[in-house]
Amino acid sequence: MLTTFITNSPILASIVITLITIATYQFAAACQQKWQYIWLNPMLFTISILVPFLLLTEINYQQYSDKTQILNLLLEPALVALGLPLYQQLKQIRFYWREMTAILVLGITVVIIVSFMLAMWLIKAPEIAIALSLKSVTTPIGITLTEQLFGDSSITAFAILIAGLFGALLGPQWLSFIGVNSAKAQGLAIGSASHVIGTAVLVRKSAEHGAYSSVALILSAVLTALISPWLIPLLQKLFY
Amino acid sequence: MNNVLYTIFVISISLLLGKLANYLLAALPASLYGMIIYALFLQLNWFSIEKVTKTNQWFIKHMGVCLVPAGMGIINHFELIQQHGLALVVIIFSTTFILLTVIGYLSERFLITPDNHQTNTTADSK
Repeated sequence: MLTTFITNSPILASIVITLITIATYQFAAACQQKWQYIWLNPMLFTISILVPFLLLTEINYQQYSDKTQILNLLLEPALVALGLPLYQQLKQIRFYWREMTAILVLGITVVIIVSFMLAMWLIKAPEIAIALSLKSVTTPIGITLTEQLFGDSSITAFAILIAGLFGALLGPQWLSFIGVNSAKAQGLAIGSASHVIGTAVLVRKSAEHGAYSSVALILSAVLTALISPWLIPLLQKLFY
Repeated sequence: MNNVLYTIFVISISLLLGKLANYLLAALPASLYGMIIYALFLQLNWFSIEKVTKTNQWFIKHMGVCLVPAGMGIINHFELIQQHGLALVVIIFSTTFILLTVIGYLSERFLITPDNHQTNTTADSK
């Protein structure tokens, strides 16, 4: 029934499906606000409701993504809006940006290489390897970069989500275990590995933790964007 | 309302310049160039930070919904997850911990911040 509706009145269908997506997301976000559970991530929640919905109504992914194109288009200006936190964080790190950049560049490079090689070794699919090597950034940037490098952005979206949850739930304990206790080091590590989800958890520890975590979140996203367009094609050449 | 239009205007200009940069230089996606240009505009004080802050925060708060369609692509990957689910989780898990360890350890050891090595006055004069 819904599939005929989609082919007969594409514009109306587009409005309805986009509204369903937004409503589900808003509901999920409200739930998380209320209960504050980390795993109650709005995106995860929305997808786990919409996937069965699509399967039941027999709408395929191509149709769904066509009908919600407006959301995809809005991703571009939304990403530009991240320039404001970037500007605010740049003011914060002006004293020690060299050390911080060097540490993050090293960490990011190692992780891209290890993820790419592990994925090529275990899964043997380049588009998955690209997706997995770009999982240590905030979701909008990860998705944009993956699409530019012809990786599979839905895998990136999920990998970022899982990395975020891992780091947020186990990261602080792991860091204390290996003897990393200062707010700056914990903040930088969690911010770069677990981005927004990690930062949201860490900010409850102290304001300093939160500040360093958001610095790392933004800075590592920019650095990944600068490194990956060179590094990933290089790794791809290595495997062919 | 004025501030909303103002913010949309600044973001659109930045995105447009980002598209130009992407066309001329390639490498980064247009929206990332846009983000950097936007931060630069604010840094240079060409546009008012007070005017953009509120609308900008609203954008960031709600941008998650724009990511749902990309994530929905997972619907085409049930087979991959069945076949390689464990490998996927192992890769994500191990590399996340490598990153945490490398950055945590190096920052703890080498990051010289004004509050623990230099006095604030020397840092300010830099």
